[in-house]
Amino acid sequence: MLQKETKEKLNFSYARRLEQLPGYLFVEIDRKKKELIKQGVDIINLGIGDPDQPTFPHIVEAMKKALGNSQYHHYPMGTGLEQFRQVSACWYKERFGVEINFAKEIYTLIGSKEGIGHFPLAFINPGDVVLIPEPAYPVYTSSTIFAGGTPYYLPLLEKNNFLPDFSSIPQAIREKAKLLFLNYPNNPTAAVADKRFFEEVVRFADKNEIIVVHDAAYSEIYFEEEKPLSFLEVEGAKEVGVEFHSLSKTYNMTGWRIGFVVGNEKLIKGLSRIKDNLDSGVFDCIQVAGMSALEESQEAVEKIRQLYKRRRDVLVEGLIDLGWQVKMPQATFYVWTKVPDGSSSAQCATKLLEEAGIICTPGKGFGPSGEGYVRFALTVEEDRLKQSLDRISKVSF
Amino acid sequence: MANEKNFSVCYSDKLKRLPPYLFGAIDILKKAAYDKKLDVIDLGMGNPDLSTPKHIIERLCDTLGNHPRSHRYPQAKGMPKFRKTVAQWCKNRFDIELDPENEVLALIGSKEGIAHLCMAYLDSGDIALAPNPAYPVHFNGILLAGGTVYDLPLLPENNYLPDLGKIPEEIAIKAKLMFLNYPNNPTTAVVDNLDFFKEVVSFAKKYNIIVCHDNAYSELCFDDYNAPSFLQVPGAKEIGIEFFSFSKTYNMAGWRLGFVVGNAEILRPLEKLKSYLDYGVFTAIQLAGVCALKDSQECVKETVKIYQKRRDIMVKGLNKLGWQVKNPKATMYLWVALPEKYKHLSSLQFAELLIEKTGIAVAPGAGFGTYGDAYVRIALITHNNRFHDALLRLKKFLK
Repeated sequence: MLQKETKEKLNFSYARRLEQLPGYLFVEIDRKKKELIKQGVDIINLGIGDPDQPTFPHIVEAMKKALGNSQYHHYPMGTGLEQFRQVSACWYKERFGVEINFAKEIYTLIGSKEGIGHFPLAFINPGDVVLIPEPAYPVYTSSTIFAGGTPYYLPLLEKNNFLPDFSSIPQAIREKAKLLFLNYPNNPTAAVADKRFFEEVVRFADKNEIIVVHDAAYSEIYFEEEKPLSFLEVEGAKEVGVEFHSLSKTYNMTGWRIGFVVGNEKLIKGLSRIKDNLDSGVFDCIQVAGMSALEESQEAVEKIRQLYKRRRDVLVEGLIDLGWQVKMPQATFYVWTKVPDGSSSAQCATKLLEEAGIICTPGKGFGPSGEGYVRFALTVEEDRLKQSLDRISKVSF
Repeated sequence: MANEKNFSVCYSDKLKRLPPYLFGAIDILKKAAYDKKLDVIDLGMGNPDLSTPKHIIERLCDTLGNHPRSHRYPQAKGMPKFRKTVAQWCKNRFDIELDPENEVLALIGSKEGIAHLCMAYLDSGDIALAPNPAYPVHFNGILLAGGTVYDLPLLPENNYLPDLGKIPEEIAIKAKLMFLNYPNNPTTAVVDNLDFFKEVVSFAKKYNIIVCHDNAYSELCFDDYNAPSFLQVPGAKEIGIEFFSFSKTYNMAGWRLGFVVGNAEILRPLEKLKSYLDYGVFTAIQLAGVCALKDSQECVKETVKIYQKRRDIMVKGLNKLGWQVKNPKATMYLWVALPEKYKHLSSLQFAELLIEKTGIAVAPGAGFGTYGDAYVRIALITHNNRFHDALLRLKKFLK
């Protein structure tokens, strides 16, 4: 008989998809940080991209008001309130000049992370290749692995302005590839993409029948006259792809968990069939708050941009004064910089943590091509950034 | 574009394995009826119609307005205060001991927890035991993870409890997960005492199977019935976990808040998987949940009273019309066999006929699994007065 002894400790083996995951780097940094805080060290956390400013008051008020309507207490529709989708489509039209059919080309998300995390489940079979940039936000890899896909990494190199080089992808990989992740403005490199690049992406995707998933979570955090583009602005993009948006960074709503995906109807439909079986959508009251965010004056967003811009200037200019090689980022609230002394990114991060009480993110955590870089998040007040510079100046590199 | 052929989108095998969504057919008819301005009585969805209690809403408003820190990323596994409150609630309600640090996890509703648990444990081809009929996530979660569903038929002659003795040994040995749900959706069955759960614990220990008990309806009990927790059985925490939801208890379906408690080792991979997929529940909503569990439970009693009244109206009314239905001890549903006259129809055909002829929407039993096909589920979810309307229409229909 195969049955086990009841007395022995029961053994619950995990699914393989969990064992194939690389370590989650932010958890490690958090653990070290906690240790130092316990020791009473004054830590400046430039590690996690969590906006430090509160959600704009009119959004909070919209939520409070919505709570008074008991209709909104019931199960939401998975796809999202019709009004939320309409407002999102209007915002899209106004911001990017792209027409979106709110009935079929938008789906409301519990934050863009879960949308990206679940998207490959709808399209990827075991053995399918997924093209993933690196360094990158770790969720592209984990979602690929969860669906049984095989990641093929596209290095983002400084010499290519942190854009992937499609011509370097072998023919055999192109044939097996089913999906391509992209993210501009980019986390962690802070790079932006131009129209020519997106046109190339559409040609590449169309020729090789590859679904394009563009993560545009940072589209509204920009500092130049020329605003970041939507992938869908390019002709033919909607035939091959979708774009994920988040309200987290734009409106300081990271905790609220709301985002949306727009684009190709069949792709949206696939994701919706997965999600209908996984969750029940976003609390209607939060959607109403999201509508207020997208619909009302965008003045507060402009103020947020100014705030990050001032912080960016302080940090980047300060680092340059200290001899670091940093480019002025045009978008995102990250500064991606080469390690000053040519040591590894982990050595640099550890040094900054131990000698200066500063948390940054070692670039290698985002992928092998991130080696030699660290990422600073501009999510602390200006005076704390000045203090950071002061502390860094005392670290001997 | 130079390329003439159409870009083709092909869905994954996982998605293609999902059974057709039977409630979709009813949704279409419902929409058609609404479009014709017909007066639809919707008893199809299990979507509580009552409002969230005021004090819970006020707590949320207070947090949003006065604690901007709550606007930032939440702690994914649930904030310590939420987890402690859950542990205390379980202690008060079921007299079970839980370690808030490792044995409690906050969920964006129990539905996502159940589906993601499958992803954390099941590889392609792994077997999981699921009741049939069942809440669809119990089997669709398995399918989406690539697993294979082994049906545990819930039959009236066994009081809708699965017959564990009928599970072939080779299946039991291979099975990794088992789903259970009492008070049960859709059959409304309950366990009268802990005997069945005890049997489950020894079965699960013998075959090394993780038991996932969905206790979403634990607080919607009628008359003198009080639903137990699976974890009350000695040894249950060694092999099991239990899912709870705020949706029904506090009319918070829209808020998306639930939790899972039980074996720390079983919960760990779920927490890990979720850390790659979401950031947890909005802190302000977690604090509203704390308020719900901690404050007076009078509101729960009120809700139960309302459902009980509706149950009484409907059960009495249907029996009077000759449509035999048992008095459920819990949940907000009635599970009724198709009337004699319509026994030749499938549950979907019957539900379609019913909405066409009477404007009453019910859930076809087949939507919950093949063993549900001789039944429909009637949700006790509309204004009290509407049940009299529904009965009048049914009287005509059944003549």
